[in-house]
Amino acid sequence: MSLVILIPVIALVGHAFTGGVPAFWDAITQTEALDAIRLTVLVAFATAFINAIAGTAIAWVLVYDRFIGKSLLNSIIDLPFALPTVVAGITLVTLYGPYSPVHIDVANSWVGIMVALLFVTLPFNVRAVQPVLESMDFSAQEAASTLGSRPLRTFTYVTLPTLVPSILSGMGLAFARAIGEFGSVVFISGNEPFHTEVASSYIFALSQDGELNSAAAVSVFLLVFALVVLGVFGFISRRISQRIQ
Amino acid sequence: MKRRSLALRLIALFYVGVLVGAPLVLVFQRAFSPGFDSVWHSLTASDTASAIRLTLVVAAITLPLNVIFGVGASLLIVRHPSKFTRLLDTLIDVPLAISPIIIGLALELAYASNGVFGRALAHLGWQIIFSWPGIVLASAAVSLPLVSREMVPLLREIGDSQEQTAATLGAKPTRIFFTITLRSVAWAAAYGATLTLARIIGEYGAVLIVSGNITNKTQTLTLDIASNFENFATKQGFAGAALLAMISIGVLIVLSLAKQRERKNYEYHD
Repeated sequence: MSLVILIPVIALVGHAFTGGVPAFWDAITQTEALDAIRLTVLVAFATAFINAIAGTAIAWVLVYDRFIGKSLLNSIIDLPFALPTVVAGITLVTLYGPYSPVHIDVANSWVGIMVALLFVTLPFNVRAVQPVLESMDFSAQEAASTLGSRPLRTFTYVTLPTLVPSILSGMGLAFARAIGEFGSVVFISGNEPFHTEVASSYIFALSQDGELNSAAAVSVFLLVFALVVLGVFGFISRRISQRIQ
Repeated sequence: MKRRSLALRLIALFYVGVLVGAPLVLVFQRAFSPGFDSVWHSLTASDTASAIRLTLVVAAITLPLNVIFGVGASLLIVRHPSKFTRLLDTLIDVPLAISPIIIGLALELAYASNGVFGRALAHLGWQIIFSWPGIVLASAAVSLPLVSREMVPLLREIGDSQEQTAATLGAKPTRIFFTITLRSVAWAAAYGATLTLARIIGEYGAVLIVSGNITNKTQTLTLDIASNFENFATKQGFAGAALLAMISIGVLIVLSLAKQRERKNYEYHD
């Protein structure tokens, strides 16, 4: 345990601050670093948002709809968890890249990065909401419709608020994963510095150039950022679920 | 109402189809369109065969280590809580929140022959980074929490009343451990072990950094697939990718079976 986590993390933090705080600050405020971090955070956030909507809709279909092939849909949702990222990476760039058999080319752009992130994080969003939907008690919804509320209004004011905590915790997990994602993204992103280079790919490039201290500095920043985001999402979702109860 | 739910169903199917279904079909189409012989040829080419061998060796070493660690850590966390186990409980989940690239980098900084810890090991003649022990460490790090995350909630839920009953009836601790504790968590542990295996076989980022990515020497199957794809040997790359995709599908099937068994086991205990 300390061999694989504790000692390496200590070494990482040590290297990040070898040149003191100024060197650390210098490393994370390089234009290339800032561009990579900004791109990663923005695309990761957009991904978490889109998959929150899509994931909730898919979870709804899986719980309340009935059709042939539903169990296949249910099991294919977990595939991005089980499929190695490198397989996802080369497949997505072949399918939605310059030699696309369906003539959709989103490679070397932020859209391509987002497609890869949408792929790898979809299970988080679906699986966070699905159990809550399965155990949902519909008496409040029935009361609302007896009182004359339209279905859409009932959904917005009665159903959705009970789902928000689980949607948010799914988004938090998806966001944290998206910020650190490497294998599925590097093939479709093109890794062009200042343009389509994500943070983990920038860290990798630095480490290959022997700039280990700068790589460690950016890593520490990203690590702290991911932990803060996870904490914030967890906090909000706990607060909301307390208020509902 | 009916029309709306049909529309939602079609949207869900379309989204999952475009994002997950189509890539899955494409992997097999690209791998098998040149024919079965060609797939066999690709998988037995010297670089890919040696990568498959390395992946299997790494999995054979790492999986038992992490399963034993995971089972032990979960029992400690739930049954013998202390300050130490609280730290353990927090640290153990760290790999899930970190990029595999960062895990790889942290391991390199700690164990490279000019690193903090690696210098001492280098004096003993042990090379960790750019060699197979580094790959084992990276695989162990990324898959560390997967067993305990399955076991800890289950252990909390079932409590220890059965063990206490057995103890009052005079059963010895080892007997209690093997006949009650281990049996009640076996399926959760199997579930976690399957996730661990899938993660070890499929890891890319962390292994890419610590292995040095040397063909025929320190390339695991994922690294071999990537370098074949980048060097325009796409046929060979997709053959390896299809092998991994088949393993993932196998993993998903095992997981759903383990989940069903676990549920049955649990209802039976009730």
